Amino acid sequence: MSQTDSLQSLESLLETFLDRVVFLKEKKLHVLDGINRLDDIGLLANQGKDVTDDIGDWFAAHNKWLTDRTLKDTELNRITGMLSKIKREINIDDNSSMAEQKISSEIDRWSNKKEHSAPILTLKRKPETSIPKPTTTPSSDSISLFVRRLSKMTALFMDYANSKNHILSVLEELLQKSSTETNKDALILSAFIIYYLKQNGYKVEPYVKKLKEAETLYKKGMF
Amino acid sequence: MLSVGEKAYCVALLALKNKEYANALSFFEKAAPYFSNNKEFTLYFETTRLLVEVKSKLGTLEVDDKLEIEEIFTHG
Repeated sequence: MSQTDSLQSLESLLETFLDRVVFLKEKKLHVLDGINRLDDIGLLANQGKDVTDDIGDWFAAHNKWLTDRTLKDTELNRITGMLSKIKREINIDDNSSMAEQKISSEIDRWSNKKEHSAPILTLKRKPETSIPKPTTTPSSDSISLFVRRLSKMTALFMDYANSKNHILSVLEELLQKSSTETNKDALILSAFIIYYLKQNGYKVEPYVKKLKEAETLYKKGMF
Repeated sequence: MLSVGEKAYCVALLALKNKEYANALSFFEKAAPYFSNNKEFTLYFETTRLLVEVKSKLGTLEVDDKLEIEEIFTHG
């Protein structure tokens, strides 16, 4: 096989791999494209440019996201935040054109619908002294949930600790997992290990920093 | 708004979708400082970098091949 043949074979292999990546991320790329486009519009609005047509086109292309409910909460929050900022930049008043007022109402519709679609969980507890404890309390659910989580984290820890010689190596890898896979168990377990190490006199600042970075990536959950 | 790193990563992936590999590479390079710990990012970045290198090398080889053929005709 000549050098050219080898390189062509490698080229084909790499292109195939990247094509597969794109194929697997197709849906996410579509969302990213929409968010990126909205971000561009936001930058134009920030520069004082008229974005009425751009934002109108964006709504026409992406309004179904709101009704289909295909977006993750983090993506929906991001888009709502961007739209709110654009609305502030557009600065709508009574003298604004019909198109601008329509855009403003569309942004409001998006924000309102988003608020309605978000599930709301309200935790209430009764006064501690006035009522005797029932045999089965809501707190027993929270305890069993925590026990289940603790057991999952123990299994996770054992998986990672198996091939390591030191707990710091386990922590390093868990923090990596938290960042790259946005894994909540790995994130909580990392925080737990950091606190344990702190109590035992280790210097934990670099790990705290990594934990914060991992937490930020987890909250964004974008890529 | 998207951060500089997020936007660059996003544009790089969209460029990959359009098979604009050199363009994708330049945006991966911009995003790299913000995703140094992200294994998935590093995989896509390094694969794209290698592909662009391979394409560049192939371009050079193809030019060399062409020159060689021209020489054969000159003396033939």
